[in-house]
Amino acid sequence: MNGRASVSDLASRMAAVVGARNCFSEGPDLLTYECDGLTHGRTRPDLVVLPGSTEEVAEVVRLARASGRPIVPRGSGTGLSGGARPVPGSVVVALSRMRRILEVNLEDGWVRVEPGVLNLDVTKHVSAAGYYYAPDPSSQSICSIGGNVAFNSGGAHCLKYGFTVNHVLGARLVLHDGKVVDIGGPALDAPGHDLLAALVGSEGMVGIVTEVTLRLLRKPETTRTFFATFPSTDEGGEAVSRIIAAGILPAAIEMMDRLAIVAAKAATGLDWPDVGAALLMDADGPAAEVEDLSARAVKIAREAGALELRLPRSEAERQLMWKGRKSAFAAVGRISPNYMVEDGVIPRSEIAPVLREIESMAKDAGLRVANVFHAGDGNLHPLVLYDAREQGQEDRAEHLGGEILRMCVRRGGSITGEHGVGAEKAAYMADMFGDDDLETMKRVRSAFDPDCCFNPGKVFPSSRLCGEKPGPGGMEHPAVKSGEVQRW
Amino acid sequence: MVIRERASTPDDAIQGVAPRLVLEPSTVEEAIAAVARCAAERMAVVFVGGGTDLGLGARPSRLDAVIRTGALSRLVDHAPADQVVTAEAGMTLSALSEALARHRQRLALDAPLPGRATVGGVVAANAFGPRRTRFGAARDLVLGVSLVRADGVAAKGGGKVVKNVAGFDLPRLMVGSLGTLALLTTVTFRVHPLPETEVTVLFPGLDPDQVRGFAQAWRAAQLEPSSAAAVFASDRLDLGLRVEGFEAGVADQVARLLDLGRRSGLAGERLGAAEGAAFWRRHDAVREGGSVRVKVASTPSRIGDLARAWLPPILGELSPAGAVVYPTLGIAFASGEPASGAGLAAGLREARIAVTATGGSLVVCEAPPAIRPAFDPWGPPPPSIDLMRALKERFDPDRRLAPGRFVGNI
Repeated sequence: MNGRASVSDLASRMAAVVGARNCFSEGPDLLTYECDGLTHGRTRPDLVVLPGSTEEVAEVVRLARASGRPIVPRGSGTGLSGGARPVPGSVVVALSRMRRILEVNLEDGWVRVEPGVLNLDVTKHVSAAGYYYAPDPSSQSICSIGGNVAFNSGGAHCLKYGFTVNHVLGARLVLHDGKVVDIGGPALDAPGHDLLAALVGSEGMVGIVTEVTLRLLRKPETTRTFFATFPSTDEGGEAVSRIIAAGILPAAIEMMDRLAIVAAKAATGLDWPDVGAALLMDADGPAAEVEDLSARAVKIAREAGALELRLPRSEAERQLMWKGRKSAFAAVGRISPNYMVEDGVIPRSEIAPVLREIESMAKDAGLRVANVFHAGDGNLHPLVLYDAREQGQEDRAEHLGGEILRMCVRRGGSITGEHGVGAEKAAYMADMFGDDDLETMKRVRSAFDPDCCFNPGKVFPSSRLCGEKPGPGGMEHPAVKSGEVQRW
Repeated sequence: MVIRERASTPDDAIQGVAPRLVLEPSTVEEAIAAVARCAAERMAVVFVGGGTDLGLGARPSRLDAVIRTGALSRLVDHAPADQVVTAEAGMTLSALSEALARHRQRLALDAPLPGRATVGGVVAANAFGPRRTRFGAARDLVLGVSLVRADGVAAKGGGKVVKNVAGFDLPRLMVGSLGTLALLTTVTFRVHPLPETEVTVLFPGLDPDQVRGFAQAWRAAQLEPSSAAAVFASDRLDLGLRVEGFEAGVADQVARLLDLGRRSGLAGERLGAAEGAAFWRRHDAVREGGSVRVKVASTPSRIGDLARAWLPPILGELSPAGAVVYPTLGIAFASGEPASGAGLAAGLREARIAVTATGGSLVVCEAPPAIRPAFDPWGPPPPSIDLMRALKERFDPDRRLAPGRFVGNI
């Protein structure tokens, strides 16, 4: 017998640890936890638990394990890859109650926070002193640090400043057996393997982070932004290539195509012109350097065929330009009933031909694709527009999204630049990596979580849930029984 | 496929332990076959690139073979427009620099002894230089790796684009792993444009508090030198700051650094090209020289402890002695010739107790074989040692890759 406790038994044991209102197995609240930001894939968990401390997380993990249930860690649930999607029979451990900022050390440039702290709140906390936390995913006002750690989140400014992995100095981790371990810390180069590298971006599959030490940066002295329009993405892509080739490292360089511009205008009321492409670039650093870089970039953009160049006259105007860019995803809702966000990466020098290829693929599929992307690092966000009410459109959109990712891989890129693999893109991992590559990655995972009790069914395309081993407790995983695993 | 092999010479010994066999693959395929052969014959093996960091880590507990990657030295792919380069693991930093410079680019990883240090070795040893101040270390620049596992299976991780979060991060996991998990065969890095110009500003004769205070001051003033290093000169520190970029920005930052120094009561000078190079040679001499080299890692606010309390017990046992502190990293290196092994061991012990008590570490990077038994090169294992052992167990269950060389006898 498996000794699997009933949901109500487990719920009452969990409630004794976290309090009755922080644990539920039914009711409308459960709906929220059936999916992450990718709302079309939903799975009902057995139980949702919201622990308030490391000790509670450890006890919750022990109880979930003893009951033979897989554990799905969750931050704000803003992920776009189904990474926090529960599996049937799972316990969702949501960290949103753990949102204390524990310690700040400006001289040494770090802050220690709980995982439920929102990304932007870290910066807000130290902003008055002139510091900030660099990774800036577009969802930064609602996404949590724990989720950022799990998915190695990036953002528009990671071209110059790097990803979450470059800004995490230490972490406290609850392991599969409820043991708590500290990894790294404020001092650099602790002897031993770089376990933080294994942890950051592990998509909740190695344990539950309950504290994170983040690097803080001094704000740059000056930021100069310009907005440029082009007849098409060909000239826009060329401008990006020439700016980079000139030895300029922008803090961010973003591009939108015609359809994305139309959507952003509709959503924000910005007076952007109807053009084939728009470019938004930030240069930041010491004032004189930035003025110089910015002037060089503007000149290059003009030479590359810019139709119009706008330099914001105030910080408010600058923020508005960025708002146009950052609201682009949601804005697409104005021009299409439904859309899917993809997240492929290509070598940046291939932007123009890739966009043409996407356009022709979309045409063949009878769909429209709007493109919003981090042009400096070749990270595309094709938004596949469709109407779910039309028979077959959603399937065609999903298929087109997948084909776009495969094309990114063929061009030497990646299936994800910042959203992660999650449940949604696990099937495409085999396009990018061979069996031996994936098996090697699984070894890393199993060093932390030998029974694969954390977030099963993500990242790896195999229908085997955990290397050669059966699921938790040696019994058949509930996802296998239910047939759900075939999706992965 | 015939892999070049030969009997070992005294130069092939790792900290005095000689292998039976030396394998010198010259292609990735040969490297895979070499590791597979070690697996088939159950040989314990150490991977050697340029041999510049073989002093790092303990003496191997067992050694049958050495695989040298020196012949694995090709540039695999350089995409200047994408600022990405892939090199075979045995390519030296100098050779890579030369290839990149043709396109006015560089790998911003200025590890010591670039003429010998290989890209694979630099990654495996987490070697770095003063430009870490601005560009970070190997983990901030590596994008992808190809590797060969202990069982002879080749695998890859990461990719060839600057932004990629697909799958577990094998490239960064290799950084600093000292050949305990796998043999690196190729490494893909992000590269940067070569700066139009560089200028070094020198603030000589500072005390540790002045270095610490000035580091805070230039950060508060939002200045961004690409290198910051303080070289010990008897009981004072000579602080060198390098600014790189386009002419206009560099000239401005240099003027502002000098002005900021003046207002802090520090007399600085803008060095000419030759003087600047001479300063960085003094720095390099500490990082590259000495039969003893020690690394102390702490935090920037501990510079006073570093310079006044932690380094002196070590420096007192070395003659000649040198030291360099990276004030924004909180890391220092000391090097020199030991007077007596026992004295040095006592000095290291004293310093290590103080450093580790504040959350830092002291690692012996180089020491003569005769005095090595007197101290543990790594110090106390970190709280996460069980996870490291589990990782080792998954990657190398028979403990054949650099056995005993790593932290906690891994």
